[in-house]
Amino acid sequence: MEQEIRACLDQKEYREAFERLLPEFQNKVFRLAYAMLGEAGAAEDMAQDVFVRIWRALPGYRGQSSLSTWIYAITRNACLTALRKAGMKREVSMEEPGVARAVEERGSATGAGAGIDVLSFLNQLPEKYQRVLRLYHLEEKSYEEVARLLEWPMGTVKAYLHRARKELAEAIAQGKIERRTS
Amino acid sequence: MACPEFEDRLIEYADIEGEARACVDTHLAECAGCREFLEALRVVDTELAARFTGREVSAAFAPAVRRRVEREASARRLSFVPEVLDFVGWGAIVALLGLMAWWVLPLIPAFNTNQAALSLNSALAAGGAFLLVALVIGLRSLADLKR
Repeated sequence: MEQEIRACLDQKEYREAFERLLPEFQNKVFRLAYAMLGEAGAAEDMAQDVFVRIWRALPGYRGQSSLSTWIYAITRNACLTALRKAGMKREVSMEEPGVARAVEERGSATGAGAGIDVLSFLNQLPEKYQRVLRLYHLEEKSYEEVARLLEWPMGTVKAYLHRARKELAEAIAQGKIERRTS
Repeated sequence: MACPEFEDRLIEYADIEGEARACVDTHLAECAGCREFLEALRVVDTELAARFTGREVSAAFAPAVRRRVEREASARRLSFVPEVLDFVGWGAIVALLGLMAWWVLPLIPAFNTNQAALSLNSALAAGGAFLLVALVIGLRSLADLKR
C-alpha cells in the first residue's frame, strides 16, 4: 500500500494519495494519539488534526523516511505540542477542548480521591509508562508496534512495560486500588 | 508483597515456560504474597485489555476528516495572481525584444533597404511570440488548477 501511495505522490496526485492513506493509517494515528493523550475523544479530535496536517504537508513529503514513520512523527509532535499547550493553559480551549479536558482529568486524578481503580492509578504513573501501557494494549500486545509508533528502542519499551505493570500490581496488592467487583 | 527474587519472573509469568515456569509454580504453591502479586498482575492486564484492546476510530471519523480537508482545499484555491504576473513578465520580455529588433535592425546597413518591411515583420514576429507565450502560460495554469 505504501508503494501505491508513494506512486501517487510521485505523480503529484495528492488527493488520490490522501484517499489511500486515510483508511490505512486512521486507526494507527488514533491509537498513538490515544496512548499519548489518554482520552479517546481527545485522541479522535487530535487524529483529525493530524490528517489535516498530513494533507497540508503531502506536497512537501520527499520520501526521506518511510511514509508510516513520517505520519507517526507528525502525530507524536502534534500530541506533544497539544499536551504542552493544554498543560500550560489548564483551561478549556475552544480549539482543543478534548486535550484540555484530558489534562484536567489527569490533574484531578492525582488528588485525594484518586486511586479507586486500575485506570485512575494508571493516570498517576509517569507519562512514559502510561503511553507504553496504553499502546501495548491498543496494539494487541505487540512490542514491535509499540516501539515503532513511539520510536523507542525495543529494550526501552520492554523495560517501561515491566516497571509499569509492576507498579500497578504492587498498588493493587497493597490495597491502594479497590478491585472492581462489577 | 512478592518475594524480590521471584518478582521479575512473576511479571513475565505468561512468557516463561518449562523449568523456569515449574520453579515459579512450586514457589507460588507455598507463598501467599507472590500469589497475591500474580493475581494483581492479572487484574491489571484484564482491566487494561478490556479498556484498550481493539479500539478504533468512530464511523464518523473519515467523513469528518474529508470535510475538513475539503474546506482546507477550498480556502487554498490556487490564486491567479502568480500566473498573471508570469504573463505580464513574459509579455514585457517579448515586447522588449521586439522593440530592440525594431530599433537595432535598421541600424545595420544590410537591412536599411528593407526597413519598412523589416519593422512590420519584427512587429508581427513579436506579436506571434507574445501570443505563443500567452498560450503556453494559459495551458500551464490550467494544468496547475486541475492538479
